[in-house]
This record gives sequence, structure tokens and C-alpha cells, in this order.
Amino acid sequence: MSSDVRFTDFKSDKQPTWCPGCGDFGTMNGMMKALAETGNDPDNTFVVAGIGCSGKIGTYMHSYALHGVHGRALPVGTGVKMARPDIEVMVAGGDGDGYSIGAGHFVHAVRRNVDMSYIVMDNRIYGLTKGQASPTSRSDFETSTTPEGPKQPPVNPLALALASGASFIAQSFASDALRHQEIVQQAIEHDGFGFVNVFSPCVTFNDVDTYDYFRDNLVDLEEAGHDPSDYEAAKEVILDSDKEYQGVMYQDENSVPYHEQHGVTEDMSEIPDGAPEDAMDLVREFY
Amino acid sequence: MAEDLNWAIGGEAGDGIDSTGKIFAQALSRAGRHVYTSKDFASRIRGGYTAYKIRTSVDDIQSVVDRLDVLVALTQRTIDENLDELHEGSAIIYDGERSWEAEIPDEMTAVDVPLKSLAEDAGGAIMRNVVALGAACAIANFDVEYLDEALEKRFGGKGSKIVENNKKAARLGEEYVEENYDLDHLGYDLETTDNDYVLLNGNEAIGMGALAAGCRFYAGYPITPATTIMEYLTGRIEEYGGHVVQAEDELSAINMALGGARAGARSMTATSGAGIDLMTETFGLVATSETPMVICDVQRSGPSTGMPTKQEQGDLNMALYGGHGEVPRFVVAPTSITECFWKTIEAFNLAEKYQTPVFLVSDLAMSVTEQTFPPEAFDMDAVEIDRGKLVDDDTIDEWLDEQGRFRAHAVTDDGVSPRAIPGTTDGAHMSTGLEHDELGRRTEAQDERVRQVDKRYRKVETAQEREDWEYREFGNPDADDLVISWGSNEGALVEALGYLEEEGTDIRVISVPYIFPRPDLTDEVEAADDVIVVECNATGQFADLIEHDTLTRVKRINKYTGVRFKADELAEEITDQLAAEVPAK
Repeated sequence: MSSDVRFTDFKSDKQPTWCPGCGDFGTMNGMMKALAETGNDPDNTFVVAGIGCSGKIGTYMHSYALHGVHGRALPVGTGVKMARPDIEVMVAGGDGDGYSIGAGHFVHAVRRNVDMSYIVMDNRIYGLTKGQASPTSRSDFETSTTPEGPKQPPVNPLALALASGASFIAQSFASDALRHQEIVQQAIEHDGFGFVNVFSPCVTFNDVDTYDYFRDNLVDLEEAGHDPSDYEAAKEVILDSDKEYQGVMYQDENSVPYHEQHGVTEDMSEIPDGAPEDAMDLVREFY
Repeated sequence: MAEDLNWAIGGEAGDGIDSTGKIFAQALSRAGRHVYTSKDFASRIRGGYTAYKIRTSVDDIQSVVDRLDVLVALTQRTIDENLDELHEGSAIIYDGERSWEAEIPDEMTAVDVPLKSLAEDAGGAIMRNVVALGAACAIANFDVEYLDEALEKRFGGKGSKIVENNKKAARLGEEYVEENYDLDHLGYDLETTDNDYVLLNGNEAIGMGALAAGCRFYAGYPITPATTIMEYLTGRIEEYGGHVVQAEDELSAINMALGGARAGARSMTATSGAGIDLMTETFGLVATSETPMVICDVQRSGPSTGMPTKQEQGDLNMALYGGHGEVPRFVVAPTSITECFWKTIEAFNLAEKYQTPVFLVSDLAMSVTEQTFPPEAFDMDAVEIDRGKLVDDDTIDEWLDEQGRFRAHAVTDDGVSPRAIPGTTDGAHMSTGLEHDELGRRTEAQDERVRQVDKRYRKVETAQEREDWEYREFGNPDADDLVISWGSNEGALVEALGYLEEEGTDIRVISVPYIFPRPDLTDEVEAADDVIVVECNATGQFADLIEHDTLTRVKRINKYTGVRFKADELAEEITDQLAAEVPAK
């Protein structure tokens, strides 16, 4: 790992096809900066992405990466991290990817506490399929598939994470570049599953959850003096649906990541040329 | 004097049928006898008929037969279910003190043993099955001491007192029969030998093969009958620095294995039936991203939930064609328990050499059957590992383009690209299910699309040339009639040869362990008068392939009752088919 890694080393030479002004630009920049700041380089980093606008991130970043199928990025990240505890794993997805089709995986990745960061670009809309309701869309948000609004409450991903036993829960805003980067850095450095829900506005299809809306309504938890180690305080903030927060809501300082709990330390890519030395013992076990 | 003994214990699920059967099978194996077991079980935890059957001989045996000599019946249903396999000389051990009134046909030998009372004398009613084992030893003239080692293995973890009580229970059962019955007329005298055998089932062989092959990461979701692979690996894979994750579903399992594989670990998942359907979503991604991994399908009766605890070979078309779009894959189907071991190793090598998903297709009959083998059948020294075109820091340079970017999907003559795993300097690249260029970047350019599709299929052509896609052959190679089989039918077929020979019927048997690519059997089919394809499904999926390959109509023997082929039954079917006309389609 070289010490002179710049965040641009994590940039690929592909030009993003995101709409001009898309929140995902800022989200990605923060991710790249956070990776570089935390001492990683593209050759020891694995980024897993799902499907949708957010899923394109693997193409625009430069690292070992997998662009998977819809909603399954977290299991892929889990597999990478288990096989290679030495590798930095970051999983990126969107609100549909993570909280709809991948909701089951989200709950289980959280409770497993695999040591990776999970960055969800939450724009409260389906962008790439051109503007349908997402699991985080407001109940009265009118879209092509919900002309009168979804008429169901949005998923609260932070609460879902909390209920699943998360060890790190945070939220950031793509446009607040420095705070976003700091928060992602904390997620990377966290020993366990570092979950960050990022407000990443869709300028094309969502005229409600806009940059202006978040700028006007965002409360920074650090400025508000919130203590992330205080579970009760975290619960209060997470369940407060009247405000939008950014910052680390909850962090379990005693978090032990999954691979450590299971004693996985070795690089599983290294195997002997033939069967392991004592392998006949495996056979004799069947006497 | 009967050479073989066909023994069974049957009762309700939860009665300890399985472990009791296993103890007896191990004892017979320790005595140097060949053992072949089969199980009847229902899809429920408690209640419902379940049985564990053992066929034992000093000769090698590879199949079940329609014959039951000694039956331990814990319920009347056990007797009723097996009436057609019981014969005049059969002995039925039952507990007359139990509440049910045993209805045993007059011509059979009813052996009433107070199993529960004797077990209580030995220390607890729970040991009634072991009392029955002792009784069975007395009937079969098999030294009860052979049970001791198996009892130690089974109960050793629970303390020496438990082991001693069980040994006592077995002896009480033996003594009771010896004192109360004069059973010499049954004529059994189970010969023992000095042979050392191991006793294992197909799933254990797959798990062992995976460990030998360097599989270090396994993700799976419990499903009958694949789960025992996961259970085998759990607790053992850690010895080699590996890990098993019980995923939240099959979608997750295959994606975890995909992650492990892309990280460079030899990775595997196994499932059955409905689980394979769920995994199909990711299957195309595994193939398109050219990720080496092994997906094991232990087939059971389908479709949908079908008959989850019953035998079938109905997933062949799924393995061959499953998934949207066209994707290269290998389909390897072990034909015996030893082949479960060797083909698993081969599957991992194929996966890495060609960077392709490999379907390892087994079936329920093989997965639950325990069979004896000399330990050398699993000779670990013969295991070879081939990791294919894996590049490292020193060898990666030739695969970088002018800008220093790694050509993860480089178009090569053999279709195989270099593979860099995370941590390899300059190897960073993205993999995707989107069509991509040599660098892995998305493309919809027509020429790139064609180049990559051709490249991926060229791997299959290369493999077809380089690998030996052989078949196994039995019977008389010069016989006029040819029987073709795949999967676990081989054992019954090989034994059927003996029955057929007695009738003067001479056949050639070809057992095919590779579904795709597969050996070209055109010459063999053309040289034969009659060709019969044997498989456990209704439509003859493999027979269709043979017809497709050879442009010749074949006869078919299909069994889809949920029960595997039996050697004697198969011999009869073959005789019938040889006499029949080739059906018009």
C-alpha cells in the first residue's frame, strides 16, 4: 500500500453518464476521498455495486470491483470480505437496491456485522427506470406508477438497521462534501458494518427531496452535540421523522466484526498445490 | 447359505432410525464387509414412516435390491411398507410389549424381543434400537463386538457410561434372541475380512473433495438433500483456514460464493430444486463476469417443492440451459460416491482453468447412500490443483494495455483471459454482468459484443479439445446392445449386468459423468443394435441429448416414482426394452 495514493487514483477514465447535477457525483467523490484518506489504494480495495444509477459507481471508480445483479451487492461484499479479510470492501447501492429488492440481505448483512462499509445513495425515487416510487419515497409522492402517491409510509432504513442490531449507523448529504467524506471515512474505519444512508438528490425525477430541501432541513448531529455511543439518544434521532439528520447516529464501540467472531484471519486465496498434507485424515474419519 | 444380508430398521421419524442404521453399517464395515445403504424418509421432523436399509456382502455391492432379510420394525407400517420385499425367510424383530399388535405374515419369522424393557435393564429405554441391533446380530450370526467401535464413535462424546450402557443393551438383545429362539434355519453366517473400509455418502464425498480441492469458502442455505454438504464442511473447513456462511437465502448464498471467488478463494455453493431456481438469477453474472466457482445441485423430485425427500434426475435441462441469454458453463455429474469426490476436485479445476461456473450435478440417491470403500479410493496424493491463468505481481505486465490497465477479459486464442485477484498490483478492474470490453467496461458496440460472446464460448471449445470428456464403461464392450446412463444409476446398472448375464443377455454399459461438454457417443450408438438410455426422470432429458448428438432414436427407461433404480428391477426393464420396438416419437 503506497502512502502517496490520491483520491483521483480511485477514478476510472470512464465519464459518468449520470444526469448533470446528480447527487451521485458528490457521493462518489466523497467515497473516493474517504478511501484514499484511510490509506487504501485501488489494488487492495474491492467495491461492489448493485443495479441502477448508483450501481454505475463501480464503472466510474477504479479498484477491484463487481457490478452485480439487483439488490445482491451485500452478499457479494460479504463473500469478498470473508475470503480476504486483508482487503478493504465497500458496497454501494441505491434505495431500491438496498431497501426493496435487497431488503432481506440488508437486514442480514447488518446483523452479521461484516467489516465493510455500505454506502446507499438514497434519492427517494427510481431514476434509471425513469421515475417510479422507491421504498423511501414519501407516501404522497406522485410518480408514474403511483399517481396518487404510494400511500404507504416510507422505509426508515436507519430504523431498520437499528432494529437489526447495527453497530454503525450514519447519514450524510452528498452536497455537504466535507461532512459526507468524514462520515464515510468513519464508516470505513469502523470495525464492522459501517452503514451510511446518503441523501443523493435526483434532479430529474424528484422535485421534492431536492438539494434545497435538504439544505434547509438538515440538522448536523455533531453540531447538535449528539453522542453516537448513546443508544437511547440514537434511537430518538433515528425514529424522529420530523427532521432530516446528518452525522453518525450510532456506533457501537465494542463492535467485533463477523470474521473476527468466526476466527477467520487467513487469505483464503492461497491453497496448496495438491491436497492438504494431512488430508488422508479426512478419509480415515469415515472408518 | 446367503451371501448377502439385507437388513432394515423402520419406524417413525424421530425414532433414531438413522443413527441406529448408521451404527450397524459402521459395524459391518469394521468387520470388513461391503455395505450399501439407502433411506426412505418423509419430509417431516417427527412422525411419518422412515427407514434405513443396509445391504451387506463380502463382495462389492453398488445398489439396492428388492429383498429384505431382517427387519427391525418399530411400527406396523414398517412391515406393511416393506411387504413386497419381505420373503419367506425374512425375520422381523419387533417389541411385543409395545401397544401395537404386530401383524406378521405366517411364513415369516417373528422375533418378539422386549426392546424397551431390555433397554431399561441396560440403563434407559432410549437404547431400545441398540437392543434391536444386538438381536439382529444374533439372527445374522454376526459378532456383537463389532458394534462396540461404532457405539463408541456414536456415543463417545456423551461419556463412557453411556457407551458402556449401549454395549450392554446390544448384548442383552443378542442374548435374548439366543436364549429364546432357535434361528439356525435362517442360515446367516456373516463372514468377516481384514479389509479396512471407510463408509461415507455422496454428500460427504463432495464435501471432502471440496476440501481436498482447496475450497475455502462455502455459502449455502439449508435445503434437502444438499444440506449435509454444508454440515460436513462446517467444523472442518476451518481447519484449513476456510469458512462456511449460512446465508439468508439461496440468492445470497450464490452471491456470497461469487464474492469469495472474485476475491480469489475457491468457492462453492450447493442447493437443490427450488434453490437452484433462485440461484439462476446470479448464474448469468457468474458466467459473464467469468468467475470460477462451483454450484452443486443435489437433485430431488420436482418441479416446485415436488417430493423433497425423493430421488429424481430432473434438473439436467436446468443445468444445461438455465438462465436467460446464452451462457457457457460446464455440467459435471458424478456417477458414484467416489466420483462425487473426484468430480468435485475436477469441477474446481475446470472452473479456474476456464473461469466458468461449473454445475456439479448429483442426486438424492447418491447424497444419502452410505457405501464402503477402501480408503485408497480417495487417494489424496493423486489430487492435482490447477489454478489456470492466475497472474501475480510479476506476470501481470504482459496483460496491461498501453495505459497500464489490466485486460481482465483479454480476447485470447483459447478464450481464457488472465485472472488477477485483489491485492495484485495493477490488477484493479471491474467485473460486470453487462456486456463489456477487454477491460471489463460496459459496451454495446456490436463488434465488441460478438468478440466477447465468441471468446466466452471459445473457452468451451478449448476445454473440449484439451480435457478428456471420457465415459466409464462396463459389461461387454463388444455386445450388440448398448445401455447409456448418467448420475447415480451406474451402480444399479453395473449390478444388473450380473442378473442379465445369468439370463444370457450380454450388454455394453456406458456411464457418462459429463453432461456438458460430453463425450461424443455417435460411433458407439451407431455400432449398437439397441440403445437404451436409463434415467430417473419422466421425459428422458439425457436421452434427448443422445438423440440430438447422434441423430438416432433411442429407447428409454425412465423411473420417476421418487425411488431409485434397483439392480434386479433394472435388469428386468432392460430385458423388456430389448424385446420392444423403438417407440415412434
